[in-house]
Amino acid sequence: MTTAVRNDDVEDLLRTLAPQVLGSLVRRFGHFDTAEDAVQEALLAAAVQWPKEGVPGNPRGWLITVGSRRLTDLLRAEQARQRREDTVTRWTLPDQWLAPAADRPAAESDDTLILLFMCCHPALSPASQIALTLRAVGGLTTAEIARAFLVPEATMTRRISRAKQRVKDSGIPFGLPPAPERAARLGAVLHVLYLIFNEGYVSTSGPNLHRAELSAEAIRLTRMVHRLLPDDGEVVGLLALMLLTDARRPARTGRDGALIPMAEQDRTLWNADFIAEGVALISDALPRGATGPYQLQAAIAAVHDEAPTAEATDWPQIEALYELLMRISGNPMVALNHAVAVAMARGPRAGLDLLAELESDERIAADHRLYAVRAHLLEMAGDLATARECYLEAARRTTSLPQQRYLHARAARLG
Amino acid sequence: MKYMIMLYGSQQDYDFLSGKPGDQPAWSAEDVAAMHGFMEKWNQDLVDSGEFVDARGLSAPVHARRVQLKDGVPVVTDGPYPETQEVLAGYTIVECESFDRATEIAARLADTPHPDDASLAHEWFVDVRPIMEDRGELDG
Repeated sequence: MTTAVRNDDVEDLLRTLAPQVLGSLVRRFGHFDTAEDAVQEALLAAAVQWPKEGVPGNPRGWLITVGSRRLTDLLRAEQARQRREDTVTRWTLPDQWLAPAADRPAAESDDTLILLFMCCHPALSPASQIALTLRAVGGLTTAEIARAFLVPEATMTRRISRAKQRVKDSGIPFGLPPAPERAARLGAVLHVLYLIFNEGYVSTSGPNLHRAELSAEAIRLTRMVHRLLPDDGEVVGLLALMLLTDARRPARTGRDGALIPMAEQDRTLWNADFIAEGVALISDALPRGATGPYQLQAAIAAVHDEAPTAEATDWPQIEALYELLMRISGNPMVALNHAVAVAMARGPRAGLDLLAELESDERIAADHRLYAVRAHLLEMAGDLATARECYLEAARRTTSLPQQRYLHARAARLG
Repeated sequence: MKYMIMLYGSQQDYDFLSGKPGDQPAWSAEDVAAMHGFMEKWNQDLVDSGEFVDARGLSAPVHARRVQLKDGVPVVTDGPYPETQEVLAGYTIVECESFDRATEIAARLADTPHPDDASLAHEWFVDVRPIMEDRGELDG
């Protein structure tokens, strides 16, 4: 029993099923690294066959069957080669034993979460965590990930295989991390998703300011985690933050690709659906107990998005939210944004005083953003000559072309 | 998910356990009781955790019969194994949440007590194998 479908629908379906199929193979047969390759091959086979022949009645079962067969083939070849080379894999069991299962079959949702925890394991570098998450949980091909990160495919292939090898070598058993570790490990997962989102929203190098597909993928994966952990406040906070930030994407760059600061954006271009969804999520989550950094950042984004004009922005509220955020996060970027909010609420001089305190923080002292903010505040205060110098200095310190163009344009306006 | 944990032994191993004198001292009744006690506890833990499905032990390898075709006719051979060949001695089927969990369960058997002076005829090992879930897996 099959049904005819469009290519896009098949792609969406495959992306949804990818982590479930991989989870099911690794749970049953182990071999995280080889199983991941087998699943990619099964996804490819489906992407070719289903649009032509229709989606099978049990698409997940189909993928698991094809994936298992590929896994058997790959293992057979691998083990034969290892015996020839006398490099048979031996490993010791981890000290940490899995708890005996309660009397229940494992839920599908567990598999996807377990995979996320594996891909974001602290033994991996952030770049590896991101790449592995996109491939193993997101179901993206190595070529797609390489394109999104503007690196050659060979580089990405090496990065992903090394990451898979590390996961395998660490001997992590396929299961959820023990309860005491779980919160910290979930924090790592959310951080990786946020990095993927930001990579898409603010591209750090190259001519394109945003690579929308990465942001869309981060939102899709965060929605998935939210479905799996509906009661987690920080997951809601992160999803709301992404939606409320991404809502401004259409207004963020002009026709020529130049950056447009929020104060000058055409707010009618903002994505009203995302704003409505993000505001609803955060309004629902805020009163429900502990407020974490993602919730606070989402609340700040909501205040911005709900202002009909830049002038109508409720800066005192944003200042207060940044103060709360500073109490729980030692991030100098938070302090920088706080200084902006203070300047907007109480005048540029008050903001400049706070910036002076930040200059001794070596994590941000050389960052172009500190110079850009100082330039803005000096301009607000009427010190145009010094502002112009600061804009030029900020442009010298950033690698992003759109940022450079924007900062040079600001400097040029001041003579 | 179901897994079979397979334990091996040769006719020689069976002989040691049954107290038959051989190349090395046979196991004493206490040694055998300690081993059985350990195995029973291992088994009971699986029953308690809900992961136990089935377990069977096989008679000594000398009792084995092999049926094979010779010139198109089925022929029976008694005791086809050399006495030091390790063959399946028993199995335990567990139903648990992952291969990793089944592997841990099997690994606990490495602590099985044996007499200090007993050296097994071979290096000790057990195998863990996933059991097919449905007929579809046979159509490779």
